[in-house]
Amino acid sequence: MVEFPEAFYGSMPLLAVSGPVSGEVISTAPMSPAVVVALCVVAGIATWLLMPGRKEVAIRRIGGAILLATGLILSAILVRWTSAWGGMGFYFWAFAGLAIFASVRVVTHTKPVYSALYFVLTVFATAGLFVLMWAEFMAAALVLIYAGAILITYVFVIMLASEAATGSVGSSADKTAPEHDAEARSPFLASLVGFVLAGLLIFLVTDKGSQIPVPEQRSLPDSLGSAQDLGKNLIDENAVNVQLSAIILTIAMVGAITLARRRVMVSNQKGPVESVLGPATPVDDNPHSIPVYGTTNPRHKAYPET
Amino acid sequence: MPEIFTSIALQHYLIVGGLMFAIGMIGFMCRRNLIIMFLSSELMFQGVAINFVAFGAYWGNMSGQAFVIFILAIAAAEAALALAIIVLLFRQKHTVDSQAFRELRG
Repeated sequence: MVEFPEAFYGSMPLLAVSGPVSGEVISTAPMSPAVVVALCVVAGIATWLLMPGRKEVAIRRIGGAILLATGLILSAILVRWTSAWGGMGFYFWAFAGLAIFASVRVVTHTKPVYSALYFVLTVFATAGLFVLMWAEFMAAALVLIYAGAILITYVFVIMLASEAATGSVGSSADKTAPEHDAEARSPFLASLVGFVLAGLLIFLVTDKGSQIPVPEQRSLPDSLGSAQDLGKNLIDENAVNVQLSAIILTIAMVGAITLARRRVMVSNQKGPVESVLGPATPVDDNPHSIPVYGTTNPRHKAYPET
Repeated sequence: MPEIFTSIALQHYLIVGGLMFAIGMIGFMCRRNLIIMFLSSELMFQGVAINFVAFGAYWGNMSGQAFVIFILAIAAAEAALALAIIVLLFRQKHTVDSQAFRELRG
């Protein structure tokens, strides 16, 4: 297998093993619960300010600055926690910061296309984190499937389902955004719930993380990220799951085609919108069994003679 | 081959994954654009995938990465179905505002 130069390993976070010997457990939590609570409260308020709404741009900028400062403080605490044994690598902090920043922008950007592009950035940063965890094949698969396939579908749908801007709502920067993009729905409650969850997770991971059992085999297998071993694992241990995911993908494909074939008839007059679904294939080889929608003219309803 | 990471590094990855999950949840709850809501759910998938791969690397086996394969499959299926439904909804009301479909609440 390919041997990377030692300098490459030395800068990677997981391999900076000047730290505790295997088996020795770090007991001290990096921060007290009060610090976690305070950080999460500040970050929640900042996210609330950052959410698109009927606020001035300056308020959103202040919220972004506060959120950025909170993230820097959290990472500084974590850096100080780990710098006692050589510190973490540069790449982890770069990719993690990029991922968090881009995901915040996905949530707070008022233009859907930019949100999708920031999600592409998140995918790339996550792929970088995967590479740091010896999951090279998964990193490639993530970029191919997410950034290549799913996000392209999202961008297509954003372009298909874009509507004319109202221009009446929102601050001056959001003049072109329609109302449902320029204004969030109960951002305070959402930030509260989200950062309560985040605070609980961070506190649990930092406080009780020392109780995670330490594996006996601490050395890296030679081929952790290889596609061969992944495929072998899939076939050996997850054969039923592979079949199930194949069934799920087939069902999703059939369902998407069925949904796309459904005709939607919007009545001109005000009233309930009628949605009709007829047989897509002829019944009993009778071509007239396929209904023709969207017209009341009986001549148009006739099956075209060939 | 160098030694695998200590439990400290594992916790850093768990924090990153948890933060991404929380941010995706905030986005799902407070954005009103249906497309952005499903984009936020993809963010939550990403956070879970980071945790899976981190634990898989921590234990030195392939199970975490195998599960991320299944996450990708489910995400693809969900994106196909959800986007088809969103296009249908847009053809009905010419908006992707989730507030426009309040009558679905019952």
